[in-house]
Parts: sequence; structure tokens; C-alpha cells
Amino acid sequence: MAKFLEYVPGTSFLHRMNPSVKLICAILFAIACFTTSNLVFLGVLLAGAVALAVGCGLGRETAGLTKAVFAFSLILAVVLLLTTPTGEPLIALPWGYLGTGSLLAALTAIARLEAAAIPLFLVFYVTRMSDITNSAVKQLHVPYKYAFTFTSTVHFIPVFMNDMAGIMEAQTARGVEFDGSLAKKLRLMMPLCVPLLVSSVRKTNSAAIAAEVRGFNLRTRASGYKDYPLRTEDYLALAACILILGAAIALAVTG
Amino acid sequence: MIQFRDFSFRYREGADLVVRDINLTIPDGCFVGITGAAGSGKSTLTYAVNGIIPHCYPGDFYGEVVVEGLDTMEASLTDLSRLVGSVCQDIDSQMVATVVEDELLYGLENFAVPREEIPDRVTEALAAMGIADLRDRTIDSLSGGQKQKVAVASVLALRPQVLVLDEPTAELDPASSVAVFDLLARYAREHGTTVIVVEQKIALLSDYADMLVIVDGGRIRFADAPEAVLAHADELLALGVNVPRATTLVNTLADRGLYAGPTVRTVAGAVTAAKEVLA
Ligand SMILES: Nc1ncnc2c1ncn2[C@@H]1O[C@H](COP(=O)(O)OP(=O)(O)OP(=O)(O)O)[C@@H](O)[C@H]1O
Ligand SMILES: [Mg+2]
Repeated sequence: MAKFLEYVPGTSFLHRMNPSVKLICAILFAIACFTTSNLVFLGVLLAGAVALAVGCGLGRETAGLTKAVFAFSLILAVVLLLTTPTGEPLIALPWGYLGTGSLLAALTAIARLEAAAIPLFLVFYVTRMSDITNSAVKQLHVPYKYAFTFTSTVHFIPVFMNDMAGIMEAQTARGVEFDGSLAKKLRLMMPLCVPLLVSSVRKTNSAAIAAEVRGFNLRTRASGYKDYPLRTEDYLALAACILILGAAIALAVTG
Repeated sequence: MIQFRDFSFRYREGADLVVRDINLTIPDGCFVGITGAAGSGKSTLTYAVNGIIPHCYPGDFYGEVVVEGLDTMEASLTDLSRLVGSVCQDIDSQMVATVVEDELLYGLENFAVPREEIPDRVTEALAAMGIADLRDRTIDSLSGGQKQKVAVASVLALRPQVLVLDEPTAELDPASSVAVFDLLARYAREHGTTVIVVEQKIALLSDYADMLVIVDGGRIRFADAPEAVLAHADELLALGVNVPRATTLVNTLADRGLYAGPTVRTVAGAVTAAKEVLA
């Protein structure tokens, strides 16, 4: 399996799409998810996103991501469950009650986050990093510095995760046991953040220097070698995402 | 030509001079090997050539370093980087792309190499490092040694006048290290490139270098042809430099007055010398 958010080579429909269009579509899709509260519609969007991922042969990567997002959205869902006393009361709470409405709200939150996250993450799995940067610079007129910084940050996430794993492994080898309660795990991990931070700062610093000695400062919008023409598929995808957003807005207004 | 004149440097975070009283002249087209114990200041010397010092690491800079007529203190880092191509020691953090081809394109695009030249340059640089088959691979999927070759190829594509490589074979097995040095030396000869390479494997280095520089505690102890430097095997060992066994063996024979030929670096050389002694 590919590392977290690392490009997976391929020739799927998504791989071949224009990088800027992919990014815009993913953002439109995410906005649509946050606009609507219709659980059925969200379910359709989520199914669509999963189908897209599986269709590109990225089922496993997406499953991993879905789990990570699920863990995060679960926290949100629990909070919603306990603080949204609507619908038929199911369980009485000291400060109100837990009702069918609370359940619906929690479910909606999970579906929404999952549906919004999948296409955004997919962009990074199906697009070479330099294509995202260069296309964003050429076609969206994002200043190169910002585009490069953004993609580099994403690129560094797996590096940092790897570092953290390495540091923990080294500690385990020295007899520190990371199993046990979450609190214990956190307490053991806190002191490791310092070496992680130091090594991250050093790495980002040397990355910046290496980029600079390879002419980073000379870069202009015209520098890019590749062109990123828009094809029919790109227009179709954009149209589809605009339609989805339109539907989400319509549902929000009428519903 | 590259000239160090009374160059000394102290990092801002450090208390001591990390390199001191460096006087060295490197003629054009020279293949220079730098070696020395860990922390002796090898990387710092390379930073002085490519301008990372003083432009990226602040500190106290004494004397001057002139690279192809540019005073590194006055010239901008960008101007220096047109002349000097660098591969840094930390290979992972200098990769900017996810795919090998894009890694090579990065510098070419930055330096505005004409579009029609780009494909040839990429192909040529990959071929020069013997990694034409890695072109479409993700960098993530490469071994440490393959990454090092990619990093070297990505600066070769820029055709710099000076190449600075900080331990480019650290992750390579002995056979691949030899292959990389072969390719590098051939490339440098064909293009008249000055090469400065930091390398721990002194036997390998002395097979290719015109000049061997031994750094100890921030000072240059020796800067001479490899044979001349290796004649001082005892001192080198004391400095923590790995001298080939063959060299120490034959040097011992020479010290006893049994052998008067040139210094050897290889087992084959030692065998020849031994035959001479025994004849
Ligand atoms: N950015 C920095 N800030 C402060 N001190 C530094 C910095 N970089 C290196 N040093 C110090 O300068 C000295 C020389 O370091 P340098 O990296 O040049 O040595 P080296 O010979 O390349 O070592 P190695 O074989 O480990 O690569 C070391 O003592 C090191 O701790
Ligand atoms: Mg070093």
C-alpha cells in the first residue's frame, strides 16, 4: 500500500484529469457535503466518492483513510449525540436527552466528513506532486512559492509519520512499552515530540536549502515545462461537481 | 578555479570555529576528494563552495572563497547555484518530487532551460547515472542508493561547471559505489566539470581523485595527489581515516627499506609490490 497521501502511479480516469480541475472538483464536492444536511443525499455522495476511489484501483488506500477519518469524526459524532436533544427521546441524560434526532445528527456528521475527505485525499493519490504545483501555478495563478510550500507540506506528512514511528521503535527497543491505556500512551509519547520537532525542523530546513540551490528563487509562472490542457472529461467533471453543489444548495434551501 | 583564502567559519549556534585557516586552490576540471573523521567539517567545506555558507547558515565568516571568479560572500546564492550543482548529505529531504522524471525537471524548469532541450537533458542525465529505467518510478519506491543516483542525475541535468557531492555513495554497496564513481569521472572528463566529492571510502576516492584533501578538526591536514597523501598512512590512521590494509602493508615494507616503489591502494597493487620484494 502507498504511504499516506503519496502518489500512486496509474492511468485511470482520475490520473489523466487536469490537476487543477481535480483540485477544484474535490473542493466543490467538499463544499456540497458541508452545504447539505440531507442524510440520503450525503449517503449518495459518499457512495459516489467510494465508487470513484475503487474505480481507480485505490480501494485499499481509501479504506485506510476512511478509517482515520472515521476515528476523528466519531469524536465529533459523540459530542453531537450528547448535545443535540432532538427527535423522539431514547435515553434521558442529566442535561437533556438522547433522541432519534441526535442519532441522525451524529450519523450525518460522519457521512459528511467521510464524503468530503475522500475526494480531497484522492487528489494526492492520483496526481504527481509537481503536477499539482505546476498546474496550480499555470492555470489557477497561485504564486509558485505558496503552491510549492503547500505540496511540500503534504509531501512531508509521511516523512514525519515515519520519523515518529522510528522514534517510538527506538524507545520500544529501550524497553518503553507503548501498549496500555490511551492516557499512558499519550504520557509516553509527549516527550518524544521534542526530538520529532527538532528532526522535523532540521529536515524542512535542509529541504528548503536544497530547493534554493536548485534555483527555487528563479521560478516564474512561465517556467513549467509541462502543459496541462483541459479536455472534454475535465469540463464534464467540473459540470458534474457544479451540479452536485447546485443540488446540495437546492436541498438546503427547500429542505 | 576555486580558491579558499584564509577561510574560517563558525556557525552562529556554535562556540568554536568549525573550519579554520583553509587555503586551497582547485584548478578547473580537477576531481577533488575530501575525507576525514565524522564532524571534521567536510560538509561545511562543501557549503562554502556552493554558497550555502554564508547565504543560508549565518555565522562568522573569515577570509574569502572565490568560485569561478565569484566571491561567495558577494554573489547571490542563485548566481552561485548556476555554477555549482550540489547533492547534499541528507538525500531524503532534498527530493522535491514524487516521480523521478519530475525530480530532474525541477532544476531544469527553475533555471529556464529552453523547452526543446529539456527532454534530451533528462534522458542524458539518467543515462549518465545508469538509471534510465527508473524514469517513471515513484521516488518513494526507490532504495537509498537509487535515490542517491537520482539526486546526482538531477544536478547533472543542469550541466554545472562545478559539482559538489556530499557522500553520494553512503547508501551504496561497494560495487555500485565504484560504478557511480566511474560514471561521475567519465562525465566530468567529458564535460570538463570540476568535481568536489566528500567520501568515507578513501581507497575508492584515491582511485579517481586528482587531489585528496584530508580534513581533521576543521583544518586541512593534507591536500595532494592520492599517492603522496597515502604515504602518510600512520598519520591518517591516527586521524581516524580508513587507510586500505594494502597501503599500510606496503608502507611497512617501504619503512623497512624492502620496497621503494609507489604507494599502493589495492590488493592487486600489494601483490605486485610483494612479488617485487620477494623476487
Ligand atoms: N547548522 C549547523 N549549526 C551549528 N553547528 C553545525 C551545523 N552544521 C554542522 N555543525 C557542526 O560543525 C561541525 C562540522 O560539521 P560538518 O557537518 O561539516 O562535519 P562532517 O565532517 O561533514 O561530518 P559527517 O561526517 O558527520 O558528515 C560539527 O561539529 C557539527 O556539529
Ligand atoms: Mg557531512
